[in-house]
Amino acid sequence: MVNCINISVERSLISSVWNRRSLLTAGFLLLFGVAPAWAATPVLRVLAWPGYAEPEVVQSFEQQHGVRVEVTIVTSDATLWQKISTRNMDYDVFAVNVAELQRYIAANLVQALKPELIPNTRRQLPRFRDLAAIPGAMAEGRAFGIPFTYSGMGLIYDRKQVAVAPTRIAALWDSRYRGKVIAYDGGTHNFSLAAQRLKLKSPFRIEAAEWPRAAEQLIALRRNVLGFYTQPEESVQLFLRHKAALMFANYGMQQVQLLKAAGADIGYAIPDEGALAWLDCWVVTRAARDPALSHAWIDHMLGEQASRLLTERQGLASTLVEQADGRPGDRLVWLQPPEDTGRREKLWARVRSGDQLSRVLAP
Amino acid sequence: MRFPIAWQLGLTLVLFGVLGTGLTGYFAYQASRDQLVKASEERLLTATRVLMRQVTVALKGTATDARMFAQHPQAVRILQNTAADFQQLSERNVALLFERMLAVHPEYFQMRLIEADNYGRERIRVDRGMGSILHIEGEDLQEKGHYPYVFDALRLPPGSVYVSRASINHEIGAHAGEARPSLQFSAPVRDTEGNAIGLVVINVDLESLFVQLAVDLPPELRLYLANGRGDFLIHPDPARSFAFDRGQDALVQDDFPETAVLLSGSRPREDYVVTSGHHTGGASEALVAAFISQSLPGLEAEDEFILGLSQPLSSVLAESNRLAAETLSIVLSFSVLAILLAIVLVRALVRPLHQIVSGVRRFSAGGTIGELPVARSDEIGELALSIEHMVTQIHKQIEDLHEQQDKLDHLASHDSLTGLPNRRLFLDRLERALARARRQETQLTLLFIDLDNFKAINDVHGHAAGDAVLQAVAQRLQSLLRESDTAARIGGDEFIVLLEGTWDDASVEHIVHKVQASLSLPVPYQDIELESGGSIGVGRYPQDGSTASTLIAAADQAMYRCKTERS
Repeated sequence: MVNCINISVERSLISSVWNRRSLLTAGFLLLFGVAPAWAATPVLRVLAWPGYAEPEVVQSFEQQHGVRVEVTIVTSDATLWQKISTRNMDYDVFAVNVAELQRYIAANLVQALKPELIPNTRRQLPRFRDLAAIPGAMAEGRAFGIPFTYSGMGLIYDRKQVAVAPTRIAALWDSRYRGKVIAYDGGTHNFSLAAQRLKLKSPFRIEAAEWPRAAEQLIALRRNVLGFYTQPEESVQLFLRHKAALMFANYGMQQVQLLKAAGADIGYAIPDEGALAWLDCWVVTRAARDPALSHAWIDHMLGEQASRLLTERQGLASTLVEQADGRPGDRLVWLQPPEDTGRREKLWARVRSGDQLSRVLAP
Repeated sequence: MRFPIAWQLGLTLVLFGVLGTGLTGYFAYQASRDQLVKASEERLLTATRVLMRQVTVALKGTATDARMFAQHPQAVRILQNTAADFQQLSERNVALLFERMLAVHPEYFQMRLIEADNYGRERIRVDRGMGSILHIEGEDLQEKGHYPYVFDALRLPPGSVYVSRASINHEIGAHAGEARPSLQFSAPVRDTEGNAIGLVVINVDLESLFVQLAVDLPPELRLYLANGRGDFLIHPDPARSFAFDRGQDALVQDDFPETAVLLSGSRPREDYVVTSGHHTGGASEALVAAFISQSLPGLEAEDEFILGLSQPLSSVLAESNRLAAETLSIVLSFSVLAILLAIVLVRALVRPLHQIVSGVRRFSAGGTIGELPVARSDEIGELALSIEHMVTQIHKQIEDLHEQQDKLDHLASHDSLTGLPNRRLFLDRLERALARARRQETQLTLLFIDLDNFKAINDVHGHAAGDAVLQAVAQRLQSLLRESDTAARIGGDEFIVLLEGTWDDASVEHIVHKVQASLSLPVPYQDIELESGGSIGVGRYPQDGSTASTLIAAADQAMYRCKTERS
């Protein structure tokens, strides 16, 4: 889940129940005392994002396989990378954004999957079954990640102010909505949006000559928006308080869910250029104790119960059924590592600070 | 004696003494400690309240500054561009005023006049730089229309001042304020129709504002500031300040769970909390802390503040530690006193007991009991007296026993009728005398006496008469003999006399005659006189034999010859 870096600090399920000190104590107990007693029950150590491993889902897996599942929650790509790269031995299976997966593969932290051990992949929509078509899910012809959930970063619009669902990303620049547009405060994605608006070949590849135009677009965006947000709750507050017309939904369905819960009459549109989208995959660590059990977990996550709860509770899409409010032909542009994250962020910081173009492009 | 009574008694006394003083000391310490913590909680709460009041005053002061400049006619003129001729001069004048303000208020990062049009373009901007105050002009001026302190503030009702959330200022080019915790105050500038045509914005350095206000606090106090959600804005550990800006959580309610009731949206809601003890999160040491939550009345504040002060419990308890040390020394000295007292007491008690015990030991070993502490008027004196009494009793009984023994011995070795040594005692004495005589090469003389006519006296006058004769003979023999000589009755009417020392024949003859003469005297019995007499045979050592039996046999034979000769 890209761009959730600001949501909150990582927090495991366990530590939300206990405080840190008792967790430490429990850790010691686990190390020296209780571990042998539990050794009889195999333990599957799962690293998941909030809402991915709901208690019922964990419970049914435990019952079916006679194991114990230890779920640790992560809320940012950075902490996920830190955990997997430094404490690989501590986890069996985890969920990661497919755009991030390649660096895990490169660092030899994950293992190739055996699709025959995950029969539920047959229930997935064809576009998720075809791993070769998902950039980053495979390496050297072998599958490393099984798609689990995704969200497009579409456009949320107020049905009262926007009669017809926007079809182009350019709607964000539409002067009719000046001061009524809410955008995300993030350079990487915003430059991708600018690239889409400019109809560049790839939103993730801005050529040297195209930077001034892209920056110009972002200044224009800045001049058209009410404001920028970083967190879903913040975006919802801004949207409601200022009766915004249009919002770039960096958090996708999560924001739709929040706004609907707040009673807003909104629609969600995927522009024709395609919505930038993140796709999270389940992967198995190199050091997994029981790879077969990890595969069984992935299979379980593609089951009916897990998929249903993901949609019901989190508003997130499963890979089994099409989103109910999606249009046929909605295009998702899976996130890819951009050409130069550093440059995008540096230029964006200047745009956001209110600089004019010459200043933005200054070396 | 595994546990001598001295030990038992001493230990009990010491235990009671030490335990008594110890417990008293402990509870006194505990009570004073609780009181100290409570007092420091109250002190901290008061300090926090005062600080919060100062903060409110300072923030309102800043709001007043912003409002004052916003209402300045020159600000309106500049934004309306009505004074075209004086535009530059007016802008310079206002910039100068801003510079003066920054010089006076070290907590101001930035003062700006921002227009509502042109995407919130900055018209006048004065920044605090590194050690200087900068007037920003030309291309360096930026468009700020997309910031809440512009778009939210422009919508405010007349007279109000917008106060932003506390945040890290990520605006590029903000000079000293860049990447620093800031608060923005915006006051709308209104035209004559009351339309907001621009803003006066003051960026306040959150840290310097609070540090300035907290500068008078005692050094051991630590300052915390959190927003309405609980995110730390100021924390002694910089890693916990503005953690949300780095995608992490560092919440006051995590470090101090009691503060959950202060958060905006919590039910029930309190406006202050005091707490003490160990807290999770950043600080590992125990703290006493007070927190106050406060909105900013009269200001259009986006957020609330939770202000807190903490003090290490250790510094609060420093006083109580001193008290503890004093209590401990008192407890220790009283304990030492208790020990000394116990020793004295035990010695006073145990010494007479030892005296008694060793006396009794001596006594049982056959010695004298010695001096007992009978002079004491307590139980020990009583005990000594009883023992002394018992000893006297025992002495008396032993004497009786000895007497009894003597009697028995006498009975066993003497003839009960005459009181003379019997045959057994006589033989014993003879042996000893013989041994002596052999050693000293002296002589011994035995006189073997057999009474004449004794049977007839018995037959005619009865046994009582015979007894009287025997008693009389015994008396007479004893009266004739020296003390060193021995007369014994060895049979019914047979006596024997042992004479030690060397006697010549004549002397022997003489004593034999004297004995014979004495025995011949009649014995008065009732009204009659009994006629008896004795035959005497002499045996002499070494002439007649060298052993007791040969000597007695020789004397017996001589007596027999004598008797035969006489009849």
